[in-house]
Amino acid sequence: MTSPGTGSGTDVAAGPDAGRARASGASRSQLRSVALPSLLANWALLGVLFAFGALYATGGSSARDLLISDLLINLVLVIGFHIFIGNTGVLSFGHLGIASVAAYTMALLAVPSDRKLVLIPKAPWGIPEIELSPLVASLIGVGVGVVVAVLLGLVAARTSGLAATMITLAFLAIVRQVAENRKDLTGGAQNLSSVPRLEGWSWPVFGALLAITIAVFFRSSKIGRLAVATREDELAAGAMGIEVFTPRLIAFVVGGGVVALGGILRVQSLGSIGPSQFSFEFTILILAMLVVGGMRTVTGAIIGTVFITVGKEITRFLGDGPDFLGFTWPKVDGLPDLFLAGSLLAVLLTRPTGLLGEFDLGRWISTRVRTSASAPAVVAGPDDHAPVVPVPRAPQATRDELVTNGLGVVFGGFTAVDNVSITVAPGRIHGLIGPNGAGKTTFVNLLTGQVEPTAGSVHIGDRLLSGAPYKRARDGVARTFQNLRVFPSLSVRENVAVADLIAHDHRSHRTGVSVDELLTLSGLSHMADRVASTLDYGNQRRLEIARAAALRPDFLLLDEPTSGMSSSESLEMVDHVRRVATAIGAGVLVIDHDLGFITNICEHITVLDQGTVLAEGTAEEVQRDQRVIDAYLGSGHA
Amino acid sequence: MILEVDQLITRYGSLTALHAVSVHVAEGELVALVGPNGAGKTTLLSSVMGLLKPSGGVVRFEGRNITGFDPAANVASGLALVPERRRIFKDLTVAENLRLAGSTVAKSLRRSRMDEMGDRFPALRSKWDVSAGFLSGGQAQQLAVARALMSAPKVLLLDEPCLGLAPTMVDVIFELLDQLRSQGCTILVVEQQAQRVLSVADRGYVMRTGEIVAEGSGPDLSGRPDLFDTYIGGS
Amino acid sequence: MTEFVQNLIDGLGNGSTYALLAVGVSMLFGVMHLVNFAHGELLTIGAYVIYGMRSNDISWWATIPVAILSAVMLSVLIELVAFRRVRTASAFTLLLTSFAIEILSHAAWRIGVSSTPRRFEAPNIAFKVVEVGPFNIEIWDVVSIAVAVACFVATAVMLRTTMFGLSIRAASEDFDAARLMGVKANRVISGAFAFAGLLAGIAGAIWLVRRGQADPRMGAEPLLKAVIAAIIGGLGSLPGAVVGGLSLGIAEVYFRSWLPSDLQGLTDSFVFVVIAILFVVRPQGLFNVASAERV
Repeated sequence: MTSPGTGSGTDVAAGPDAGRARASGASRSQLRSVALPSLLANWALLGVLFAFGALYATGGSSARDLLISDLLINLVLVIGFHIFIGNTGVLSFGHLGIASVAAYTMALLAVPSDRKLVLIPKAPWGIPEIELSPLVASLIGVGVGVVVAVLLGLVAARTSGLAATMITLAFLAIVRQVAENRKDLTGGAQNLSSVPRLEGWSWPVFGALLAITIAVFFRSSKIGRLAVATREDELAAGAMGIEVFTPRLIAFVVGGGVVALGGILRVQSLGSIGPSQFSFEFTILILAMLVVGGMRTVTGAIIGTVFITVGKEITRFLGDGPDFLGFTWPKVDGLPDLFLAGSLLAVLLTRPTGLLGEFDLGRWISTRVRTSASAPAVVAGPDDHAPVVPVPRAPQATRDELVTNGLGVVFGGFTAVDNVSITVAPGRIHGLIGPNGAGKTTFVNLLTGQVEPTAGSVHIGDRLLSGAPYKRARDGVARTFQNLRVFPSLSVRENVAVADLIAHDHRSHRTGVSVDELLTLSGLSHMADRVASTLDYGNQRRLEIARAAALRPDFLLLDEPTSGMSSSESLEMVDHVRRVATAIGAGVLVIDHDLGFITNICEHITVLDQGTVLAEGTAEEVQRDQRVIDAYLGSGHA
Repeated sequence: MILEVDQLITRYGSLTALHAVSVHVAEGELVALVGPNGAGKTTLLSSVMGLLKPSGGVVRFEGRNITGFDPAANVASGLALVPERRRIFKDLTVAENLRLAGSTVAKSLRRSRMDEMGDRFPALRSKWDVSAGFLSGGQAQQLAVARALMSAPKVLLLDEPCLGLAPTMVDVIFELLDQLRSQGCTILVVEQQAQRVLSVADRGYVMRTGEIVAEGSGPDLSGRPDLFDTYIGGS
Repeated sequence: MTEFVQNLIDGLGNGSTYALLAVGVSMLFGVMHLVNFAHGELLTIGAYVIYGMRSNDISWWATIPVAILSAVMLSVLIELVAFRRVRTASAFTLLLTSFAIEILSHAAWRIGVSSTPRRFEAPNIAFKVVEVGPFNIEIWDVVSIAVAVACFVATAVMLRTTMFGLSIRAASEDFDAARLMGVKANRVISGAFAFAGLLAGIAGAIWLVRRGQADPRMGAEPLLKAVIAAIIGGLGSLPGAVVGGLSLGIAEVYFRSWLPSDLQGLTDSFVFVVIAILFVVRPQGLFNVASAERV
């Protein structure tokens, strides 16, 4: 059961590991189907631009040579920034600090001994005597850069938003200040010269190709995809069992390694190194390239680098006061900076996602190819998802109960949920209803760990659920959100596949349907390549449920799955929830205010009011309960 | 008609929260708006006030088209909203909350309006210089209403004024609604306690999934046997 | 002991500039969650105005008010042209926008004037020292501290008593609720930029009288210090920003007098390390008065 696009998936192995093999096969084939075209396309793009550059350079002086190698080296740095910022959505100003450390390491090891005895005779650790080949020194430099990235990342990746930005900014400033002040080691403001100089383009070309390769493979790697999920929605990622820290740290370090390489290439190309080379201003230049092009894709990084480099070159030419187009231009100092800041500002104010936004050449091509290949297969209309697909039975349905014992939480004196004990039987669909403000969503947040309870506990079978939401998700509860939290800029398939990755590692004992089967089951297979945010509301709801199901949970917790839907859509949703739950063999706890929906779908209903259990029983029992009617209609004093 | 909402459409991204909703309120009326969670009641009030920008339809206030106007302009022309969950300024004192709320009335009148609020809500008077964060739920709700009244609105919109209040406080709020109406204030209130609010309202609307599904006089609606079904889905 | 007190006076003189800037930074963060790295450019415009007027022999008495006014106007202009358009954008976009404006300003001064510094002569009072007992007190330190204290008192009074002050405080807590009270979004944000610009203009005047030169990048460093001060105090908390600014000023002086001479150049680095640790341990800041009230 594979879709045309993933036809290269491995054969289904026999035996108990069948589901596991199938899941990993799908992930791997998907990786190949996206990474390879993306890699080739971005290499080709670079090749085309390089050809133009070479053409330009052959007609001119060595300054033009330098421009080309500059562009390639900047591209390495921009891609390094892209790997962290683009995939995690966290702004870092510190990566050039890593580049600086790496480049100093390389320079100190590679500068000829006789030069060092003149420039920095008092350097510690016998550095003046050391003289390594540029290649070995570069490799050691990258290694040191990676170590520094790990240390900084351990601090920075723990935070997000402003905190991460400020910490990395501080790091950049510290590196510069240390370089200025440890004159015995770095020569201080007086540059360390005679760094073995790279001639020609070969090393920068190699560096750029390597950087593109690393970025493309990182993006389609498991860690890369998890990092992107945290970028899209940290809360939803946690609810899918994704821990934020590790992917973010690894993205930071991989980006750091690439930036270290870029820094080393830059210093080798310049032939000298000083504290001001990796300055805050240079960081802004690199960030501008990334932001102008589009920080989320490699294609964006390439286009942004070319745009800013070429633009700066043109404005520098004009600012030098040339004789051009028949008259002499005035000499203007600072014109390239004006261009840089102006284009950055213009993009931020009019197109904050950059010129290209989410566009990646390789993804675009592969989606095109896949869509045209599978076009004849698409027969279903957008709303045609009647149960034509036989519902596969889950091979191993859960046998455990979901039990809460006296669960409660107090927010600053206000008891939102008080002593709620319910039991959800395995494989059963259990309803939780109650009027606005009854504490339904808070109760789900207590189950899944978004809110820490002040009393009580949650078990699945004999397993105690505790700790952060991602741990509980791995332990068997997957949820949806009242206010819809799909990963907006990922494709439908990627949304589901990310949860599948976690299931593969942590829920492998609960196999069953594959990603493609889940998509088909949810009526989404014909729009699997569409970006999630472009789906209509009902389909986004179904996608959210499919994503939760892909986690192969013991229990699905659905928070108002029909909120904002018409009656007929709600009825379809009943059918949908039932099919999905059957397919993955999970129990369901569904929250809704809609009694019609709940009675259609649930064998057992709990009614909450003012944070406590008001009534419990079958649909008829609950509907006839006068207390329930009063709670809903507030007719107590009528 | 002092307030007229005609075919209003409001969207959040892919979700259409209001599907061409029409509601009107005549001068001096108390109109109740009821319906289940997620029906679009809060969205409707926010769209009328200008906190949300509708993508279609018209809002008229005293015959003037005010669709998409800034909330501040609407407050100045005589609309006021008591928002859901009160949203009082916890870092400001009670008096400061009220003074700010009187920003649209003439400076000379502000002091007397504040005195009036003190008389109307004695519980607030005793907490005048206390940070609003220290008020109890009931007091906070009274402050929220008092704040809206500071601008001497012609039409008062209330969004779930009884949410999270103890039963005795709920009685106080209902008394207040009655009082305000008898003083000639026009009121549009969203309330969870449907039967109770409809029994005191002149007219009522029932909303469900972004549409008005029933309207009529308050007591009529509250007595209708199908209300419960409409309300929570029926079977 | 003498040295201790002497350092304290120096530090307060130093820190009052940071604190004045930090209050503005913190206020803007409160109303629109922006850390405005372009705020330092208000010092730069003040410096060039002083340079322009002083090189035409216009008196200091006329120069200072015009310099302050120019900072106010630039602050309002930046909001109008740039920040208004990204008001609801992500923190990421807001932050980068402020950096873009900073770089744009640097380039504009380089193009419009020159990248080499422009000097103006400091008035006599700027470096006058009087001996009071065992202390050498610079008159200008006293003036700085007095002006800053006056500004803080005026700000506090403004926030408590004026309608504008109430709007700022309310908008910092719940922007939409403030709009429901009749607060005009554009006006309160413009006003916050104007007020922050005024404080920056005054901070600039104090600082520039002694600095005696204008150059394109001069605003960046004091602004960075001010941002750090605002972070120490808890972004959005104005009393916190004052405490943060003054303690940063004092800390710098003490670091400088305690650190061995070969580590002198690393003073900022030590401060940065402390800030980084602080951010991990207490992201809400050391003296977050506002949130302490809320609990």
